[in-house]
Amino acid sequence: MSDHPETTFRAGDALVARVAAETAAAVPGVVALRTDLAGTLLGLAGQVLGTRRAPVVAARVDGGQAEVSLSVVTRLGFNCRDLVVAVQREVADAVRAYTGLDTLVRVTVVDVLIDRPASTSTDADVSAR
Amino acid sequence: MTALHDAGELHPAPGAARRNPTRAAPQPDSAAEPARPVVATPDDLDEQTLVVRAQEGDVRAFETLARRHQVALYRLAVRVLGNRADAEDALQDGLLDAWRRIGSFRGEASFSTWLYRIVTNRCLGLLRRTRPAVPVADPTEAGDVVGARSASPERQAELDAGMTALAAALTGLPHDQRVCFVLRELEGLGYAEIAEITGARETTVRGRIHRARKALAEVMRPWR
Amino acid sequence: MALTPDTGTPDTGTPDTGTPDTRTPYTRTPGAVEAHVPVEPLACGRDAAEVWDHTEAGTLDEHERDCPHCGAAAADARGLEAMVGRLAQEPLVPPATVVDRVVGAVLAELRPRDLIPLDSPHGPAALDAAAAAAVLRGVVDAMAGMRARSCRIARPSSSDGRPGPAEVAMTVTARFGVDLSSTTARVRQMVLAAGEQALGVPVARVDIEVVDVFLDEPGPAR
Repeated sequence: MSDHPETTFRAGDALVARVAAETAAAVPGVVALRTDLAGTLLGLAGQVLGTRRAPVVAARVDGGQAEVSLSVVTRLGFNCRDLVVAVQREVADAVRAYTGLDTLVRVTVVDVLIDRPASTSTDADVSAR
Repeated sequence: MTALHDAGELHPAPGAARRNPTRAAPQPDSAAEPARPVVATPDDLDEQTLVVRAQEGDVRAFETLARRHQVALYRLAVRVLGNRADAEDALQDGLLDAWRRIGSFRGEASFSTWLYRIVTNRCLGLLRRTRPAVPVADPTEAGDVVGARSASPERQAELDAGMTALAAALTGLPHDQRVCFVLRELEGLGYAEIAEITGARETTVRGRIHRARKALAEVMRPWR
Repeated sequence: MALTPDTGTPDTGTPDTGTPDTRTPYTRTPGAVEAHVPVEPLACGRDAAEVWDHTEAGTLDEHERDCPHCGAAAADARGLEAMVGRLAQEPLVPPATVVDRVVGAVLAELRPRDLIPLDSPHGPAALDAAAAAAVLRGVVDAMAGMRARSCRIARPSSSDGRPGPAEVAMTVTARFGVDLSSTTARVRQMVLAAGEQALGVPVARVDIEVVDVFLDEPGPAR
């Protein structure tokens, strides 16, 4: 095998961001990802904004290190600190598994859904799907 | 460089891979106690509480305030602007203004006075920008109440036509008179509050309302 | 400060002929703080605007009922009144989407606000202070006879530079008649518990100020 040419790949920022977003969204208790500026609390505002704004994850790869920043929305019943720890762990593991990069994961819980008035929940749920 | 990445789906997909199934993810407390804290958001919170919460960044408290006041604000806007589409814009922009400025609400006036003022300013801004439109009487508006009353069909039709004419005549008034008249005669506010909303002196408000009344009475003479 | 620039006819209606001393003697609107400057003096000396008000309020006095000048003003008022009354009663309800759009826009323009650090061995972590406050308010709202008003949470750094335990300052209103000392003690307990269980933030200090009482049923006291 030594005569095979060495194959290299470079994990780009976008790849890391995508892996981080997919992974974070799958962590139990994460209701939504939200951008810092144009974030949408989906399920509350997705439809009324008129666009299905996608979450934005900021990621930067610098040498063998990656840095990711996420804003998450959770709901009552999930401990915010435990949730954040789980997101950080899962995201770092996933990025390492895909890219071999060590990742610093910065997580902010930007909202905790408490309950939704029954009158609006139906519409909101529809818009979220 | 920072990549702003579109992750596509906000919500965890039901089938999303759990890459580390052995990892203890945080669990909702529903299964095992200690139970999640019991929280409630009463519908009947008093206005001051809602205002304080909104001032501290609670969007839901603001939403409750907006829902409580939207009908009165919308009525004002429809009557001042003469049509529903512009009134929706004025209401929407006014409520956004209210959110952005809610920190400056100090409680000297009542919250509803404060909101009326914001929406009034939005209406006046719209009126200044739009060329004097031909007042369009909205026949559906008159139609809304037809079924609600019992009068002879002839009298009913007469009243509906009169109301449509009045709504049209309103939009023919100078803006400041129109605003004052609507606040007084349709919203039922007192002179002092109208003065606060419009920023005019009470005497000025009285004068505007009287001139509006006279002009409208003249226009409506045939409908008596 | 004039918030509404005059776009229509200028206000020339206020007469500046009379001095304040010649205030019309007939201004006796109940509760009126000051006498009104007449808007449109009638030949009989009354103010047409006031006759109009009295007509609407059903408080015409004897002179106003008998005087032909006042009578003409009152007739105008009655003529308009019926139609205005109908217009005022017409149901006008904005589409529900308006507030939805407003809330959507509000959420979309939220800027990063005050953050409370969360303890994590895996990297920087924080919680929006307004979201945390909403959770703690919700806990208090769920208690019988209590409602949270203001709620501020801070997590000052301890001496080693790491975030110390949180300090919570709340104002609450209580149902009239509840025992304030035992209830605030309960509020304190609930906030301490919710800080740990819901937020994952240790709370060291809870300041509670009862700022008002409300009455039992639907309408809380103002």
